[in-house]
Amino acid sequence: MLFFLDPQSGVPYYRQLMEQVRLHVSTGSLTAGDELPSIRALAVILGVNPMTVSKAYGYLEAEQLLERRPGRPLVVRVQTNEQLEIGRLERLRESLLDASTLSRRLDISADDALSVFRDLLNESPPDHGREEDPS
Amino acid sequence: MKVLEFHDITMAYEGGQPVLEGVSLSVESGEVIGLLGRNGAGKTTLIRIAMGMLAPQSGTVRVLGEDPRGDLVGVRRRIGYVSELQELPSYMSVRDILTLHRSLYPNWDDEVAGELCSRFELPAGAKIAKLSKGQARQVALLCAISHRPDLLILDEPAGGLDPAARREFLETSIRHLSDTGSTILFSSHHMADVERMASRLVMVHDGQLWIDSAVDDVREGYCLALVPVRGTDLHNKLLALPGCLSVRERDGTFRAVFECESEACRAQLVQDLEDPNVQCLSVGLEEMFIELVGGRS
Repeated sequence: MLFFLDPQSGVPYYRQLMEQVRLHVSTGSLTAGDELPSIRALAVILGVNPMTVSKAYGYLEAEQLLERRPGRPLVVRVQTNEQLEIGRLERLRESLLDASTLSRRLDISADDALSVFRDLLNESPPDHGREEDPS
Repeated sequence: MKVLEFHDITMAYEGGQPVLEGVSLSVESGEVIGLLGRNGAGKTTLIRIAMGMLAPQSGTVRVLGEDPRGDLVGVRRRIGYVSELQELPSYMSVRDILTLHRSLYPNWDDEVAGELCSRFELPAGAKIAKLSKGQARQVALLCAISHRPDLLILDEPAGGLDPAARREFLETSIRHLSDTGSTILFSSHHMADVERMASRLVMVHDGQLWIDSAVDDVREGYCLALVPVRGTDLHNKLLALPGCLSVRERDGTFRAVFECESEACRAQLVQDLEDPNVQCLSVGLEEMFIELVGGRS
């Protein structure tokens, strides 16, 4: 499972971590019953104060995304299809926040902004495989 | 429980300006304090007062409830200390250093020491003089935490280490923190390290505590405002606004640090200054530090 922290971002580490767990659940790379790394293990891997990890886990537990079991690692809770759907849209919304702020500042109409987004959606995704393929 | 208490500390070296002026700081058990400030701001002086190495002209210090100058040995036995300037005796071997520390600290834990020794792959028979800078610092850290101190004091502990050695040092400190819940006071110029490890930031500037805030609040509760230079006396106008900590002009733009969340700050500034071109950004700790000290001389 991939977690990373961006020291340049203005977002506190615990919030970065929360967003990444949510994203893993939304993309399906973490599913119901999957275990999260222990607080100590993740704190050491990321090189952060264990409180940071524990804070992120605590909030995610309160959001009903994670489940605590005594003496065991936290696991991902069972999500209804509706919850997963809401989660997916919420992740997209999160990443569009900056774009919408910029759009307003540039005085771009909602219609024009939507058509830019539609174009981007229709573009074929960049082919990441090509350069890495040794053959 | 209060692990560390400075009350109204004033300290001046002979014939000089005060290095610390009326500094008060109280640290609860389990807190990790990242001490920031420019060179000469008074960080090391504060740390040396806590260690009982210096006596302040006025004010009181309590370390683990004791006066560090009163019961030097008793207090020292419950503290771990690593400093960039610390020098281990170069003629001694790693093994000799460990034997010496075991005899000095009644709580010395051979299991902890042994585990660290093998993780660091330290050559037990090698003389300190033959070790790399990174290895020597590992020995110092090992000696500082193997007696399971209640308080760990690190004064620029990763100074002069390469990034890989720094990260290794950080990871070991985090393991120690996670296993013991020890209180940590550390100073560093590596903002990224401070932000990773600290739960609370304390910034010393001109002998006084300037910022004292939970780490997460610094990113969310402070921002950098960029204001185009317009009209007269904008500098003082900005400084007079509530929450403004520093202002400086660079290249036709005022850069001001505000204690305020960025969106709210921008809305307020646009209204107060009647200028729609104000921008407010949440920035990382390093940028914030540079703006703060640059805008407050």
